[in-house]
Amino acid sequence: MDVEGQSVAALVGRVERARKGGFVVSDGAVRADLEQVFRSAYPRVVAVAARVLGSRSEAEDVAQEVFLTFCRSAVPAAEASGWLSVAAAHTALNHLRSGRRRASREVAAGSAATVAPDIADAVVTLDERRRVRAALARLPRKQAVALVLRHSGLSYAEVAAALDLSPGSVGTTVRRAESALREELNRHASSD
Amino acid sequence: MRHPTDGTLRRLLDEPDGVADAERAHVAGCPPCRGRLSAVQRDAAAAATLLGVEAGTDVDAGWERLSRAVAAEERPRVAAAPGRRWRTLLRSPVAAGIGVAVVLAGAGAAAAGDWLQVFRAERIAPISAPQADLIKMPELDQFGDVVPIEPITIRPVADAAAAAKTTGLTVPRVGALPKGVTGEPTYHAGQRASALFTYRAEKAERTARDRGETLPPPPPGLDGSQFRLTGGPGFAAVWQADRPYPALVVARAIAPTAYSTGVPFETARDYLLSLPIVPPSVAAQLRAFSGDGTTLPIFMSVEHMTSTPTDVGGAPATLLISKDGSMAAVVWMDGTVVNAVAGPLRGDEVLAVARGLEPR
Repeated sequence: MDVEGQSVAALVGRVERARKGGFVVSDGAVRADLEQVFRSAYPRVVAVAARVLGSRSEAEDVAQEVFLTFCRSAVPAAEASGWLSVAAAHTALNHLRSGRRRASREVAAGSAATVAPDIADAVVTLDERRRVRAALARLPRKQAVALVLRHSGLSYAEVAAALDLSPGSVGTTVRRAESALREELNRHASSD
Repeated sequence: MRHPTDGTLRRLLDEPDGVADAERAHVAGCPPCRGRLSAVQRDAAAAATLLGVEAGTDVDAGWERLSRAVAAEERPRVAAAPGRRWRTLLRSPVAAGIGVAVVLAGAGAAAAGDWLQVFRAERIAPISAPQADLIKMPELDQFGDVVPIEPITIRPVADAAAAAKTTGLTVPRVGALPKGVTGEPTYHAGQRASALFTYRAEKAERTARDRGETLPPPPPGLDGSQFRLTGGPGFAAVWQADRPYPALVVARAIAPTAYSTGVPFETARDYLLSLPIVPPSVAAQLRAFSGDGTTLPIFMSVEHMTSTPTDVGGAPATLLISKDGSMAAVVWMDGTVVNAVAGPLRGDEVLAVARGLEPR
């Protein structure tokens, strides 16, 4: 039995594996353009994940996960950059929400010694950073992804294409996300 | 004119050229809008600070790490080439042992010297067994040699018309997509694939010996007898979500067929089913429908999947649902064509898609 070269049952098996997060239909071979795509897209993929996670080393783990999925995928090369950015944002947000991230690294200590040197802005305190991640995790998924992609340097057209939005509504979505982020932080600042 | 929306003001900060001249002019001359623009700007700047990351990524180190991870995944494939792909195909998680099963389920005496059809799928039946037993199902290449004749090739194709042209199959249109599935699918198509299986008594004995079993002597004519297995062409329409896995797969393929060069088939089947290396739970179910040579077994583990008989367009169908409710698939035959609709969806959703398929 052969469905695009695979048995239907094998396909079912692969779809079943999909929920574990590692599935894109392909012929199983590693893409020939992998290194080229990796070298051009890796910094942005890490940056997208780092904006969500606030940690470069965790972002690098997410980037590896995303590229491992991508390397056997049939995503057209022209769409690779957008696909990778969106996958990085979702995967990182999933890490935030599922608590798979090594939260202890950030929260446990509260001491400067544990602040990974790769973490962003010196202005942002450790506690603020924790609250930012919590707030991001509470935003509607589309807003969170649009916000992170826009702040990672994707153009309105790129964010629109990646999220299946009209370019005109990207501004609205990003604006709502920024406003919601402020409200989330204010609400939790006053209730803390 | 109306005051521009907050979304337009937000874009004005990043991409002023993306905003109409009239709106830009309005904001410049409208104090309330300039006030709103300041608020938008403050929130945008705050978000930029809160989400800021240090520049600088070690691309070489990242590439080295990815290369190692890819190589680690590759190693078993390379080691097992060239039969690996067939073996993988024939022993996928759900289809464990399907190659053996097709041979076992085949029936009909075949005349010496000719390729006679001994198996052609006309219906599908689930075989449900504990995962541990499915893992124990021997692989076809433990009984002999599997040599690809027409290799498995899968390629992305441009659209439904290209998939139809490549495969000669009708590519249906999905009536209504389930909630959360949007956009146009990508198509992947493959030509017919085939492989030649030669039974080797010596190899079968070695397999048994490795498992601490002894095989009875094979019936005359089985050693060295050959079976040709073919499947396809086929295609899959895949709806990608903005996630790294598909939201829906609709697939169609010419069902597998097996031919034999002339072993008395019932004899071979009875012998193979009697072997101590085929788990009894599987052998008993296979024996139940092995006589007709037209039932394609779909293997599933009792721990993870449930199957329910249903129908699609009047044809009997099998609905498979994972016990954690995270995926569902419906599989049915239409003449010599096997159809599947699957995805991380509910059973009623895949059934609705299957029943709503329309000819183009």
